[in-house]
Amino acid sequence: MRKATFWMNPMSRNKQAKRPKLSGDGYAGGAKYFFARALTNIRQNFFINIVTIGTITLALLIIALFLLVFVNLEGVAEDWSKRVQVTAYFDQEPASQEVAALKAKISALPGTEKVDYISKDEALKRFRVRLKGQDSLLEGVSADVLPASLEISLKRGSRGGEAVEMYVASLKRIPGIGEVQYGEEWVKRFTTFMNFMRLVGALLGGFLLLAVVFIVSNTIKLTIYSRKDELEILGLVGATRFFIKAPYVIEGMLQGAAGGLFALLTLFAFYLGFLHNAGNFLSFNPAANGLSFLPLPHVLGIFLGGVGLGFLGSITSLKRFVTS
Amino acid sequence: MIQLHNVTMSYQREVSALDGISLRIPKGDFVFLTGPSGAGKSTLLKLLYGALTPSRGQILIDGQNLMRLKPSQLPYLRRTIGVVFQDFKLLPNRTVLENVAITLEVLGWGKKDIGKKVYHILKQMGLEHKVSATPLRLSGGEQQRVALARALVNDPKILLADEPTGNLDDENKAHILSIFKEANIRGTTVVVATHDQRLIENSHKRVIVLEKGHILDESNVPQ
Repeated sequence: MRKATFWMNPMSRNKQAKRPKLSGDGYAGGAKYFFARALTNIRQNFFINIVTIGTITLALLIIALFLLVFVNLEGVAEDWSKRVQVTAYFDQEPASQEVAALKAKISALPGTEKVDYISKDEALKRFRVRLKGQDSLLEGVSADVLPASLEISLKRGSRGGEAVEMYVASLKRIPGIGEVQYGEEWVKRFTTFMNFMRLVGALLGGFLLLAVVFIVSNTIKLTIYSRKDELEILGLVGATRFFIKAPYVIEGMLQGAAGGLFALLTLFAFYLGFLHNAGNFLSFNPAANGLSFLPLPHVLGIFLGGVGLGFLGSITSLKRFVTS
Repeated sequence: MIQLHNVTMSYQREVSALDGISLRIPKGDFVFLTGPSGAGKSTLLKLLYGALTPSRGQILIDGQNLMRLKPSQLPYLRRTIGVVFQDFKLLPNRTVLENVAITLEVLGWGKKDIGKKVYHILKQMGLEHKVSATPLRLSGGEQQRVALARALVNDPKILLADEPTGNLDDENKAHILSIFKEANIRGTTVVVATHDQRLIENSHKRVIVLEKGHILDESNVPQ
C-alpha cells in the first residue's frame, strides 16, 4: 500500500487502501502540489496579482532609492572623514632613531592607522609644490623656518570628535611629543553633521519601512480577502489549515520575490539611465565618479525583504480568514 | 449517525437560535428540516458540519462527539460530510471540473484519477458537456448540480443541504430532488433544510418542523 501524504489523517489510512494514486507522496510531493497550486492561483487571479506585485515593487523601490542615497552619502562622509589627521610638530628636528622610536610608540596607540614623518626638507618641498607659480613668496624661505612633524591618520572608528580628543590626549602623554594640531573645530562640526545625518537617516528609514510593511501586508490582505469564498469552500470540503494556507503563503512569497526583483531592476535602470553620474551634478564629492550602485548585501536584503514581507503578509492575513 | 442531545445555540445572550433540541437521525435516513425563516434550520445544519459550536448540549456524528473534537480533527470529519447551499458557493474563476475537483485535491488524489472521477459524477448529473465551462455560464439548476457534484464526488456519509432549491424552477427542483434520492439509495444520510412545502410533499420522507428554535412537530408523513 502506498504511504499516505502528510496532510492525510493517519486514522483513515486503512480506508485509503482502494484510493487512487496520490498527486505525490511525502513532503516533496506535497511541496510540488502546493507550488503548482500557487502558480495556478496566480494565473487564475492574474489581474489582482499584477496589482499586488506592482504595489510591492513601488514600495520596495522607495526603500531601495532611499538606501542608494544613504549608502552614497555614507561613502562621501567616509571620504571626508579621511581628512581627519593629527599632526605632531617638533621644535627641533629629531634624530632618526628618535623618530623611529616615536613612530613605533604612536603606531602602538589604539586608533592609529598610519604614521608618516615629515622632515623639514620634506615640508619645504610640499610648501613649494603648493605655492607653484608664486615663487616670489618663497624667496628667503629655508627649510629651517618650517617645523618637522609626524602626520598621523586615524582608523575609521577613531575619527569622531570625542575619539579624536581622547587619542590626542594619549598622544600628548608620549614623551618627546610637543605641539599637536588636528583641526578641532572642523572635526566637531563634521561629527555633529554625521550624527545628524545618521539620525535623520534612521528616522526616515524607519518610517519608510513601517509604511512599506503596512502597504504590502494590506495589499496582500486585500488579495486574500477577495478570495475568501475559496478559503471557505476549501474548509467545507475538509482541507486542513495547512493545506488551505500553504499555496497562499507560497503565492505571497512569490509576489514578494517578484516585487523585490522588479524594484531592483527598476532601480538599476534608473541608475544606468542617469543616477550613475548624478554625483558630479550634485557635486557631493568632486573626486568620486558619480554615485555607486547598492552593494550586494543591500541588493540581497531588498530581495529577501520582499520575500519575507510576502510571507508575513500572507500568514497574518490568513490567520484572520482561515477559521474552522 | 446523527444525534443531538439538548442542544442550545445562542448567537447573543438573550436570543436562542436553537433551544434544547434533541434529535436522532439514523444511518441512511432522508430528513427534511422545515419551518419559517429564522426557525433555526440553517443554524442546525451549521452545527452539524462544525461551522458553529453549540452553547450547550452534545452533538454526535457517526459516533464522534463534536464537542470533544479537536479543531485539527474537524477537517477529517468534514471529508465525510457533503454540504450544498442556496447560493451554490462555486468559484467563478474556475471551471466546472476544477470546482468539483477541489474535494478530491484536498484528499491528495492525483490529477488523472480526479479527472476520471469528476467526469463520472458530472455525467451522472448530466453535465459532462460542461466540464470546461465556468459557473457563470451555467443556469441556476446547472450550478446547483455542480455544487452537488462537489459535495457527492467523495461519496460522503452525510449530505447536508441548506435551501438547495431556493433559486430553482420546478423542473430543476425535481432534478435536484432525484439526485438527493439517488445518493440516499447509495447509503448517504441526507438532511435537507427547506421551506418549500411542495418539495417536501412530493418526496414522502421524514419531516422535522422547527419554529423559534424548538422542534414543533415531527412526522414520517408529509404535512
